[in-house]
Amino acid sequence: MAEQDWGSEGYIADNFRAFYASGASRVEPPTEMRQREFGFLSFGGRSMFRHIGFEDTQQLRGYMREYAPAHTYFSAAYYEDPRANMEYKGWLGADLVFDIDADHFDLPCQKVHDRWTCSNCGEEGMGHAPDLCPSCQKAKFVEENWLCSECLTAAKYEAQKLLDILIQDFGYEGTGDLSVNFSGNRGYHVHVRNPTVKGLDQLSRREIVDYILAIGIEPEYHGFVSRAVGGGSSMSSDGWRMRTARALYDFIGELTPEGMRELKLAKAARERLEENRDAILETLVERHPSGIFRYMTKNTLERLMAAAVKGQASSIDTVVTTDIRRLIRLPNTLHGKTGWLTQNVPIIELPDYDPLMESIAFKGGTESIHIRRTPIIELGGEVYGPFEDETVELPLAVAMFILGRKAGRVVR
Amino acid sequence: MISEREAAKYPFLRDAVSLVDVLDITLDDLVDPSYRKVLDRAEGRVSQAILKGETDSRLEDPPTELLSYPVANMFVTVLGEDFLSRRYALSEALRAEEILREEGEARVAKMARTEFEWTLNLVSESLDGRIYNFELHFSNYLRNAAVFREPKWKLVNRMMKDGYVLLTQPEATRLLKEEIQRKILSFVSVPAKINLPEPLRERTNRLAKVLSENRASITGEDLPSEVVMEALPPCISTAFEGLVSGKRLGHMERFALTSFLINAGMEIDDIVKVFVSVTDFDEEFTRYQIEHIAGLRGSRTRYTPPTCSTLRTHGVCVNPDRICGRIKHPLSYYRRKIWMLQRQEEERQGDVNPQISE
Ligand code: SF4
Ligand SMILES: [Zn+2]
Ligand SMILES: [Zn+2]
Repeated sequence: MAEQDWGSEGYIADNFRAFYASGASRVEPPTEMRQREFGFLSFGGRSMFRHIGFEDTQQLRGYMREYAPAHTYFSAAYYEDPRANMEYKGWLGADLVFDIDADHFDLPCQKVHDRWTCSNCGEEGMGHAPDLCPSCQKAKFVEENWLCSECLTAAKYEAQKLLDILIQDFGYEGTGDLSVNFSGNRGYHVHVRNPTVKGLDQLSRREIVDYILAIGIEPEYHGFVSRAVGGGSSMSSDGWRMRTARALYDFIGELTPEGMRELKLAKAARERLEENRDAILETLVERHPSGIFRYMTKNTLERLMAAAVKGQASSIDTVVTTDIRRLIRLPNTLHGKTGWLTQNVPIIELPDYDPLMESIAFKGGTESIHIRRTPIIELGGEVYGPFEDETVELPLAVAMFILGRKAGRVVR
Repeated sequence: MISEREAAKYPFLRDAVSLVDVLDITLDDLVDPSYRKVLDRAEGRVSQAILKGETDSRLEDPPTELLSYPVANMFVTVLGEDFLSRRYALSEALRAEEILREEGEARVAKMARTEFEWTLNLVSESLDGRIYNFELHFSNYLRNAAVFREPKWKLVNRMMKDGYVLLTQPEATRLLKEEIQRKILSFVSVPAKINLPEPLRERTNRLAKVLSENRASITGEDLPSEVVMEALPPCISTAFEGLVSGKRLGHMERFALTSFLINAGMEIDDIVKVFVSVTDFDEEFTRYQIEHIAGLRGSRTRYTPPTCSTLRTHGVCVNPDRICGRIKHPLSYYRRKIWMLQRQEEERQGDVNPQISE
């Protein structure tokens, strides 16, 4: 069989079609659907069908049934005329959208399940591809990226932190203003729908991104001032004033000698930290943040803070949020690279939500596929693989997942 | 209803505007000698904007102060120059900010809520020795503060809780100034065909003259001779004019302008001066940013301006002209234009010389 048939797209497409024959009736339209643009990718298609608008739910579901697309998106933006070309659409506003994707994290599990191969010299390695190939210095790679419960848990944890910030600091309601969707692949999307975000321009959205990621944060604006001022501890304050104190507390409490060296702290600063660790932690809990300067210089604090805030920030993608015309995956539709469902997850259920159990669309049945190579795959409470150059009969959901990542082909 | 004195302080408020509207003054009325003081003050407001970039307030004569504002707006509208409109809006907004700073919190809050629809509450919180009298919804905050580049205005450096940002009174009035400026600008940038009676036309002619005489020195104030103003590409000269007339530049515009000026050989000190003189950027921070772009700090790479296609996607490319069609980078535009200007100059001299020798 031809090399390019890895993935058996025709087979996946048939299954998607079969799924949508009944599954289309569960596709939920976004709010104010007539002002939204929709976009679709078909199997094997290179370009996106976009500038599509629907009058009502029936029309949208009819489309899903008829075309059974590989990927389904809708705009975070509202338009006067979603079907017009970009210049003539008439932008009316947009939801505030956040994308959390484990692909952008650095996780130990990626060293186990992700792999790159240099397209030039064939050099291989595990984890994220390097900037340049270590043996030939070229920058073209074939990447085999997989995912596991660890990546998904990490993504969920970031989503949870984001929700905390949106609720506590931005004042949004967990029910009503916010919705969380599992992306159907490696992450989560958080949508804020509220009149206060609709008209925000890109610059304002950029500021919100910086807030969530703690970019540009300076300790002096959160009580870490060198002059003596009155006031108490900020551990139970609000916003980043509280988070900076907690972040430092957690970070310094767990800081190892190697960690200190990684921060490039001078020997004297490291010794002072070791000696006063307990006093510093106590200061953070009991006193005004300015008390910390009894134990460290401004420079040391800044280094510690820069590293510490990462624990409190949420790792969102910066581009998605600032793009006010972005297309986002529609819930209850299939993801062409996994065969899983993009799903809305009620916020109270998020802690217990396990996409590897709940987003499975293809239940029942098996398929025999010939597999190139996969790491261990967890799905539906079972573990499969690793596989290499073998033919196996697998549950349909697992087979679809492997085909979606182009790591196998159907044996017929 | 608003008192006359109150309206004189803030003549752009809806209530102040309707106070003037009921008087139903026509253009012909204005010609009457009894309106002389009003016309003088109106002309004064505009010329102060041109010359000083800030209008003073003359509250000892409220009726004149109030009535002169719509007249001044009309002058600016008739003159129809983008540059003037922005500079005028900035000057008037600075005037209002000056007065607002002396007001009680309640007055500030009232204007913010009723005129600009801010979601704002009066509070009294003390943090690190500072008193915060207001909490403002972050969406209103960002609409005005997102363009400020000083660290203290960054949302991440603010105290925020339940969607509200704490503000001191000077901070609240500083943000109100932005709203006021936008409001006044929206008044004066609606193009209107007004046929002014002769005596009024005299005044606008005079203002047009003041503008044309000073424009170059305002926009080119600190530009050293190395930067050839006439050779700036449309995108850069628009950004530059915008900057000096107090327009809020976007990130990309600022970056394009700064990196362009650096690459065109302008001294860092001079660039800092331009930025600081026309905006309220903190000097130290502005310098830091500019030095960063110049490669004196941080990554130590000297940034070149973005390419035309990048500028186009960010909406910075405006009114491209014939030269633009042949280049892909604003710096190439600049070099090419300088070369053309030099050739024109040579040709002109070439033309002139034979005539003399004849
Ligand atoms: S084409 Fe290039 S040089 Fe000309 S205005 Fe546009 S961005 Fe500037
Ligand atoms: Zn290689
Ligand atoms: Zn993983």
